[in-house]
Amino acid sequence: MQFEWTEEQDAFRHKIRDFLHANLPDGWEKFSEHGPASPALTAFAREFCVKLADAGILFPHWPRDMGGDGLGPWEQQILAEEMWIAGEPRGGQYMNVNWIGPTLDKYGTAEQKTRYLEPITKGQSLWCQGFSEPDAGSDLASLRTRAELKDGNYVINGQKIWTSYAGLADTCFLLTRTSEDKKRGITIILVPMDTPGITVRQIPSLIGEGDIHEVFFDDVTVPESARFGEEGQAWEIVAYSLRNERLGIPRFTLARAALDRAVSMLKDAGDFDGEYVRIEAARCAALCEAAGTANYAVVQRRVDGFAIGAESSSARYATVMAERAVCEFVIEFLPEALAGASPYLKMHHQRGIVAGVAAGSAEIQLNIIASEVLELPREPR
Amino acid sequence: MQLSLNEDQTQILDFIDSLAKPFSTLPMHDVSLALESAELDEALVENGFLDVMAVEELGPVTAALVVERLARLPFAVEAAASAMVRPLIDPELPRPLCLMEEGKTRKPLRFLRPGATVVVAGPSGVKSFTATEEMIAPAQEDTLYGYPVAFLTSLPDAMTSHDVDAAEITRAWRVAIAAEAAGLLGAALASTVTYVSERKQFGRPLATFQGMRHRLAEDQVMTNTVYWMAMRAAGTGSQADAAMALQHAQEAAKRVCYDYHQFLGGMGMTLEHPLHLWTYRLKLLTAELGGRGAQGLAAAEALWS
Repeated sequence: MQFEWTEEQDAFRHKIRDFLHANLPDGWEKFSEHGPASPALTAFAREFCVKLADAGILFPHWPRDMGGDGLGPWEQQILAEEMWIAGEPRGGQYMNVNWIGPTLDKYGTAEQKTRYLEPITKGQSLWCQGFSEPDAGSDLASLRTRAELKDGNYVINGQKIWTSYAGLADTCFLLTRTSEDKKRGITIILVPMDTPGITVRQIPSLIGEGDIHEVFFDDVTVPESARFGEEGQAWEIVAYSLRNERLGIPRFTLARAALDRAVSMLKDAGDFDGEYVRIEAARCAALCEAAGTANYAVVQRRVDGFAIGAESSSARYATVMAERAVCEFVIEFLPEALAGASPYLKMHHQRGIVAGVAAGSAEIQLNIIASEVLELPREPR
Repeated sequence: MQLSLNEDQTQILDFIDSLAKPFSTLPMHDVSLALESAELDEALVENGFLDVMAVEELGPVTAALVVERLARLPFAVEAAASAMVRPLIDPELPRPLCLMEEGKTRKPLRFLRPGATVVVAGPSGVKSFTATEEMIAPAQEDTLYGYPVAFLTSLPDAMTSHDVDAAEITRAWRVAIAAEAAGLLGAALASTVTYVSERKQFGRPLATFQGMRHRLAEDQVMTNTVYWMAMRAAGTGSQADAAMALQHAQEAAKRVCYDYHQFLGGMGMTLEHPLHLWTYRLKLLTAELGGRGAQGLAAAEALWS
């Protein structure tokens, strides 16, 4: 075991930091208060990701045969950490390079790869994932949005909800029902968001503007070639994708940075001398570092060539604990932060809420840990 | 960053497992409050497992791995202080080693007995002496702690001074206790999981009830992170990492011990089930080095002063 970064990894991190320093505009911190899915940040990201692509740091972790530098999971982690801690200037495009690109490469047809991978590599596309429905949240396998194959086309009818980035996305990674066989009856269809019959309604949210939406599909018609994988293969593909996605955002780094910012503000105000505040701050730091070590242990599994399993749920839950602790710390000791005194802490707080909900709720993670890590006998259904 | 075990580490842990096999289970109804084995201790010393830290290619992380693995046994082994603190003071100090904070003579000391080396660390430096019978008061015959413990009644007039930094000894002490706690947490969780997976009520295993599953899953998250925090602190040698590792370990111990006994129902109150050997050791470790609060203050000092 070796807990230090290599010289090459340190150099890679510095390269990203230097790039951010040179390319984030003045007033960026205030600007990043716009949510990652806001129109403002999405527009910014469309230019910023092109620059990242030109500098060779949009997808350096992808294998060479996908056009990447083949740098691997640690570099993906470092890239994600530096971007997230800076307020995620890639907006929703982080999903492209984390899991949509690799998933397209693994399961897509030649036509789909040609059509979708190139815009991703140029920093020019935005995706949304049409997963949750009003009656299919944690119980995702009960989704009902129907896709019927008629005369070589899929006709889609139904409704999605909580869909991030839907307002501005080009393409939806959509889960549909093609048969009544619960998990094996779900099929992925890649749907251009400008297809007639799609209506998007933004839902005002605590996360920030433009973050979550309802999406309605009324006789939306796409060719059969828009199907991704085989009919009924969605569950396998999504399980593969989500295991990447749970680690995709290194939330513990922003939580830790927010904590450091809060402590600095408390020190400036002369309010960091009491024992209780210091012990609580250290407890929060320990939880952030704990989440970090758990995430790193999963990254190591990837480096060693193992598929990510249920240990990603354990790392995710550790992250939820860290996010929650830091959010509560800030409010207890710096209530002014969320009322205008610190855009950065407000930005963290808004994004922190998501940790226990997105990519499978915290309770779903606990179910997975119970069954697959602890191997407890399953609950009767 | 490389978090997999290397070949040496895998080999050492495998060797410990095979050596400790006869000591890894206990016959039911044969569990006393504190359990030790001179035979096991001797075998560990003979095979050099408590001296791995000084071996250049092994170092403190391997020592932490050894301490963590040994703590999973139902038998209490004085490994943490000997394997992770003693090499920094004097590798020849006679075992068992008892670590004491300067001025904290009222606290019970683990493994204290005539012939043990007591190391006193604090503001006036690091000193040691060999305990003799007349300095020791036995604890009440059956303490609950799962370790042999005793009290110091007096200190000798002269102690051996060691030319080492007390802060560095305290750092290593924190890591050693965190590594020991990681093993205890792992063993206590495994023991509880086995019981609730087999014990049936309402016609099905207790472990099928979500009220219990979620709490055990949270305990897994804590146990896993205590392990990694301890290993990282051993690897980096950082004061902040050491203080956070022990603070996190002591938080985890506080969180799980009561629950585990509760999950075992009546069996959780008996000496027939070995769970108490790990949980009551953990309870005593929550008091080590001033407890969570003291670790928190030390971490805050290291992180933000």
